Amino acid sequence: MRGLQLSLNKGQKLRLERAIEQLESLSSKANSDASVIVADDISVNYEDAILKGHGTAEMDGRVVATLCGVVERVNKLVYVRPLRARYKPEIGDIIIGRVIEVAPKRWRLEINFSQDAVLMLSSMNLPDGIQRRRTAVDELNMRSIFEENDVICAEVRGFQHDGCLHLQARSQKYGKLKSGQLLTIPPYLVKRRKQHFHYLDQYGIDLILGCNGFIWVGEHVEVRDDMVEDLSDKSEQQNVKSWNTVGDEEVEETYTPPDTRQNICRTANAIRVLSTLGVMVAVEVITEIVDLSTSMNLDVHEMLGAEFYVIVAEKEAERRSLSTKRR
Amino acid sequence: MAGKSSAAAATYSPSLTGQRKKRPPIQTDSEWVRPDGRGLHQCRPAFLKTGAVNSASGSAYAEFGNTKVIVSVFGPRESKKAMMYSNAGRLNCNVSYTTFASPVRGQTPEAKDLSSMLHKALEGAIILKSFPKTTVDVFALVLESGGGDLPVITSCASLALADAGIMLYDMVASVSVSCIGKNLLIDPVSEEESYQDGSLMITCMPSRNEVTQMTVTGEWSTTKINEGMQLCLDACSKLGKIMRSCLKEAASGPQD
Repeated sequence: MRGLQLSLNKGQKLRLERAIEQLESLSSKANSDASVIVADDISVNYEDAILKGHGTAEMDGRVVATLCGVVERVNKLVYVRPLRARYKPEIGDIIIGRVIEVAPKRWRLEINFSQDAVLMLSSMNLPDGIQRRRTAVDELNMRSIFEENDVICAEVRGFQHDGCLHLQARSQKYGKLKSGQLLTIPPYLVKRRKQHFHYLDQYGIDLILGCNGFIWVGEHVEVRDDMVEDLSDKSEQQNVKSWNTVGDEEVEETYTPPDTRQNICRTANAIRVLSTLGVMVAVEVITEIVDLSTSMNLDVHEMLGAEFYVIVAEKEAERRSLSTKRR
Repeated sequence: MAGKSSAAAATYSPSLTGQRKKRPPIQTDSEWVRPDGRGLHQCRPAFLKTGAVNSASGSAYAEFGNTKVIVSVFGPRESKKAMMYSNAGRLNCNVSYTTFASPVRGQTPEAKDLSSMLHKALEGAIILKSFPKTTVDVFALVLESGGGDLPVITSCASLALADAGIMLYDMVASVSVSCIGKNLLIDPVSEEESYQDGSLMITCMPSRNEVTQMTVTGEWSTTKINEGMQLCLDACSKLGKIMRSCLKEAASGPQD
């Protein structure tokens, strides 16, 4: 529970400790004895032909850990899973990143990984939607699409030979994100699921859970499917698009109503509390916490206080004990 | 002119002349009494804690008597300096002193020397091949310098690296020994360091029984060096155990 800087009074401390005890008792005990530190011996049956995986090394014929973590065994493979793992990208992951550089024919994004990711100009849809070869004029106009410090949602297309990530943003749901908040949480709290784009319609906000630990909470944007639009009112679309590309000053600033802004902040605070507690961040849990805070009539800033923190811990312990009882 | 000098007197600066205490001549045969009452072969009690800095990948705080050091590790991450592709990762160390670290403001040992020495001590223990093309940054900040700074910095840095999840061959523990007359003192304080005839610092990896760095200054006879090395290696293995128990506590503590 790094980053816990709240001052809890005595009663709150007791309740928090009880909730954490309950959570620990519910978690599976299978691996609790398998935590190792650097240069600890890993108990291995030396007659078996085992494969030494990530985080292990051989020293004097013994298998020794090179990381602090938990030993995992899968058939013949023995490896050490680090405690606070870095983001491990896989092809097809939805990630959110921030542009740090506009380079020839590509953008460099920062994505909470050991290296920066690269989004090629050819992996990005052009503003007028036509599929054509990128010319030199397109290259010069890259800044009109994305600039430095823009927040972008994209998908992992693959790896380069030196380990650099390649991204693509070819669909309408990817691209620049506006009117919202970007949150950073530890990447291992986001599980890979079927859906990473969520629309919370009772609050009117979009929630994108990036696999790299960046989470976007923002105003809802209608995702227009290009295929459907092309068949019908094509002329209207062209008019709208040409109006948008004329200049930033001419684009009408859509006003976000204060209710939506409150909901965005509430959801963001709920995610912050969950991440400090170390709870897996998923849509159901987030909506539960937001509902809980509205039902208790808490102000948005009170959600980051000590009392709500303890309540969320207790609620999580309750929820987990219920789910284990159901099983 | 008079006005100017009075304006200069308004800003107080401590006079450096008072600092040059005349060292009382010590007889080479006398027993040295340690100012904090420890035995000659007794180290200072250590307080170690990981997770001190939230925004860093890994961090550690160490307190050995009056020497307080905080180390934060960032990485592996891209760095502007490393533009060339390299098969192995790079390590970048930086040691700095706060302005209030030493009793006299601004009079601190050369931090640049310490940075390169820290680099030499740690690069033998990190598995650089595990993060090619990227850099690991180690930033050490000495909050209070009470003597024996570099050993504390090195031990604290290896804790921070383990906390950050960077692959290491083993933890790195470091102890220094001072020679005053015929006495060998382990883990000297700054007062003892100012009287010393020679110093010996060993940085080793206890479980592997390998030394990553050894620094000898001053006058040493062969028997004294052997004795000093033995003292250091024993103390390093004990310190290694203390570091591992600190990591174990940190690992088993916050588990949801």
